[in-house]
Amino acid sequence: MNAPEQTLEAREAALAGMGQSRLRKEDARFIQGKGNYVDDIKMPNMLHMDIVRSPFAHARIKKINKEAALAIPGVYAVLTADDLKPLKLHWMPTLAGDVAAVLADEKVHFQMQEVAIVIADDRYIAADAVEAVEIEYEELPVVMDPYAALKPDAPVVREDLAGKTSGAHGARDHHNHIFTWDAGDKAGTDAAFANAAITVKQHILYPRVHPCPLETCGCVASFDPVRGELTTYMTSQAPHIVRTVVSLLSGIPESKVRIVSPDIGGGFGNKVGIYPGYVCAIVASIVLGRPVKWIEDRIENISSTAFARDYHMDGEIAATPDGKITALRVNVIADHGAFDACADPTKFPAGLFHICSGSYDIPVAFASVKGVYTNKAPGGVAYRCSFRVTEAVYLIERMVDVLAQKLNMDKAEIRAKNFIRKEQFPYTSAFGFEYDSGDYHTALQKVLDAMDYKGLRAEQAAKRADPNSPTLMGIGLVSFTEVVGAGPSKMCDILGVGMFDSCEIRIHPTGSAIARMGTITQGQGHQTTYAQIIATELGIPSENIQVEEGDTSTAPYGLGTYGSRSTPVAGAAIALAARKIHAKARKIAAHMLEVGENDLDWEVDRFKVKGDDSRYKTMVDISWQAYHQPPAGLEPGLEAVHYYDPPNFTYPFGIYLCVVDIDRGTGETKIRRFYALDDCGTRINPMIIEGQIHGGLTEGFAVAMAQQMPFDAQGNLLGNTLMDYFLPTAVETPHWETDFTVTPSPHHPIGAKGVAESPHVGSIPTFTSAMVDAFSHLGVTHMDMPHNAFRVWKELKARGVAL
Amino acid sequence: MEVKLDKNYPLDVDVARAWATLRDIKAVAGCMPGAAITEEISAMSYKGAVKVKVGPVAAQFGGTLDILELDEASRKMSLRGKGADKGGSSASMDLVATIVPDAADPNKSTLHGEAAVIVNGKFAQFGGRMMVQVSDMVLDQFADNFRAAASALSAPAGVATAASPTMANSVSAAPVTPKDSDSINGLAIFWALIKRWFRGLFRQQH
Repeated sequence: MNAPEQTLEAREAALAGMGQSRLRKEDARFIQGKGNYVDDIKMPNMLHMDIVRSPFAHARIKKINKEAALAIPGVYAVLTADDLKPLKLHWMPTLAGDVAAVLADEKVHFQMQEVAIVIADDRYIAADAVEAVEIEYEELPVVMDPYAALKPDAPVVREDLAGKTSGAHGARDHHNHIFTWDAGDKAGTDAAFANAAITVKQHILYPRVHPCPLETCGCVASFDPVRGELTTYMTSQAPHIVRTVVSLLSGIPESKVRIVSPDIGGGFGNKVGIYPGYVCAIVASIVLGRPVKWIEDRIENISSTAFARDYHMDGEIAATPDGKITALRVNVIADHGAFDACADPTKFPAGLFHICSGSYDIPVAFASVKGVYTNKAPGGVAYRCSFRVTEAVYLIERMVDVLAQKLNMDKAEIRAKNFIRKEQFPYTSAFGFEYDSGDYHTALQKVLDAMDYKGLRAEQAAKRADPNSPTLMGIGLVSFTEVVGAGPSKMCDILGVGMFDSCEIRIHPTGSAIARMGTITQGQGHQTTYAQIIATELGIPSENIQVEEGDTSTAPYGLGTYGSRSTPVAGAAIALAARKIHAKARKIAAHMLEVGENDLDWEVDRFKVKGDDSRYKTMVDISWQAYHQPPAGLEPGLEAVHYYDPPNFTYPFGIYLCVVDIDRGTGETKIRRFYALDDCGTRINPMIIEGQIHGGLTEGFAVAMAQQMPFDAQGNLLGNTLMDYFLPTAVETPHWETDFTVTPSPHHPIGAKGVAESPHVGSIPTFTSAMVDAFSHLGVTHMDMPHNAFRVWKELKARGVAL
Repeated sequence: MEVKLDKNYPLDVDVARAWATLRDIKAVAGCMPGAAITEEISAMSYKGAVKVKVGPVAAQFGGTLDILELDEASRKMSLRGKGADKGGSSASMDLVATIVPDAADPNKSTLHGEAAVIVNGKFAQFGGRMMVQVSDMVLDQFADNFRAAASALSAPAGVATAASPTMANSVSAAPVTPKDSDSINGLAIFWALIKRWFRGLFRQQH
């Protein structure tokens, strides 16, 4: 029965397992337009929902007149907060322990807030009906700036919280104060600063940006009144948690709620939360007994669904005169908008911001983050990063540059001097994180050599000496460490559910397999890479392994995909589920070969008898036996489920170097070179990693160089279309050069750390570092993003170097 | 969003006629493209309406117009307008308008206006980037209409070119029909903006 003998290498290649650049399974359907996105789902008798939104940032609702809208033929319902009140659904809990209005209850808190919904026969009628709903507002004073929001006489954003002196994260000392969250050792840090020879301080704004996935949010809710079952197709990065929340809110048993995340066109954190649109579509479907579809348009997506960042940071570093960092102190004002709807693990209202000691051996540190309400849309999600890690990395990398500048030290030298050394791992940071592994010095040297760093500095010096140089040249260098893979359930939970993840693998009688996961891909290529892990673990070709995610009725419970947690958490669950199957397969193989289990060696795709290559059983043989005639005392079948609760986070890192040339006449910046070295531990699919890095760098480029959400003093968002909000295309995107080192995670079953977010986290401070570097000889220590031509030109003018 | 405007419009009419036109609120409203006084609450307080269409947004603002100050001696008028549209926009304007004599020529004067306009809601969201340019266009149309209205008044006594000796402040200014009587015409503004942009280009090159 055995196939003709192949070489070991040929057998390995046939598996297309870990380490191989297997082509993406997903692409065939996407490039042919055969994907199945939520807006592709059409159900019989389906109705369409559209949302009436507030034109004002802060106003009292005096009167809502539905009559004209209801008079339009094809309109079935117009619902407002008053209609949801009897169901107690006009407000809903947020992931951050706050409540958010589903439909504005008596007043609106931000521009484009949901005020009413319209259900109609089609999208066009619904849109016309939205225009016909008449709402009388009384405008209220707005507060857009988080510092202004904390003044004693600032407008009250949240009247519903009147008199509440504590929130989900402790005491509130002002009507617009949400929480104050401290990490580290305040007294020790203050003492270190008091004794420091050198201190530097810098105010750093990380502006509000939006993840802006290509596919906007939406859902199709379908309640079956006969069976009492609710099925909802939804653009969700965390369908299982959504099912739990929907069940808790609606009272429908969780077993009768089915959430399906079909193909998702990018999430980047924007699709973690539960939005009013989802809730309203579900309510409408329950009330009308018909499927209801809601799909956001672009303006709605940018204006009202979750933003990211908006951190106003004050960083301080204490150091010795020769540049050894002795302490770090950070104070942050975090603008959370009108409702605290951040998607962070419950215990961490500022996410994992306390990773802000970075790649450096800093003896003592303290960080304090104050969350504030303003008249802006809620959010604060992890946009292509682990929770608030982008902000943390930006802070520390900017501060190390500021210190280097003060001491007139080279950026590379000061980093090498303060890096956690290879032999210090596992390393416990001043904030209490236990870094699993790293080798920063090797990575840094590799990048400096590859880019001829000394040569670049010499070129820069020559350009600076030439008053007629048409450009300013800047060199940015960043050495970041991320904390991903949330997370150990003793530290991390969402609404009380531990942040484990899961995998169920079934091997079919003929030796092919299906794996079902608690995560959900949004472009990461899970269907490709997960199969590669199983291929290597079980010796089944990747091509014969189906990966299914996103349907809560078939997939095991998992916490979803965000914060680079799929590989660190679900990837481990796969490996361990596969190992359970592997252990059973060994028993079956021993039985078939009539030897003891210990007499067998595993080799690529087979168990063979030690010392006799001719006697072996492949997984195909074993699978058949498992269903045909398992050994006495062993259950038939070959499948396993594993729920993986990680013992720790993983800590991917990287060294990025960027060279920019700024046109002194126009302020236009050319990214001459960008070199990204990433270390994500074990590499599952190098091609997908490279694609992930290209994507992350491109989004980082967008954030650093151009994206912004400008509000005027009245709270109008002045850039909520793609005419204003910059999404880079191939035209604007620079050329990327990538490199890697491999430092496996010691606690992860396959040593992998997660990678998709590193390039976003790491590149943004690299761009700023390069831009500031171009001006550093003129005394500039920091420039806030975005570094668009106009802002840069103003800086050139201010410094007297514009041509 | 807030736009601050500070404009001077030279007029081919004497101070008296210009002031007579300015202080007649209905006449002034009639000069504003798309605007009309709908109700007189008192001599200093009115209800009015403005129709505007720019790009994708059409709005019909209804609101109030209050004269805060009317100073005959310095020929200065301050007023505040406030309005809202059912579709979700609101606007307010504080305006100080003055008729300034021409030192060289008594037959000429200047209309000087300083305004702070705040636009809120859909108009600010979608029309924000055009606010300054559109305001300029609208005010240019207003100034043209204003000139026409003021010229239509009979010249007061004491002026060499006067045809009849009517007292200026007894004249009820009858405005000519504004050129764009219905609403501020989006397409016309668009073309005017493009023409202006091209003119700007050439000006920079020379």
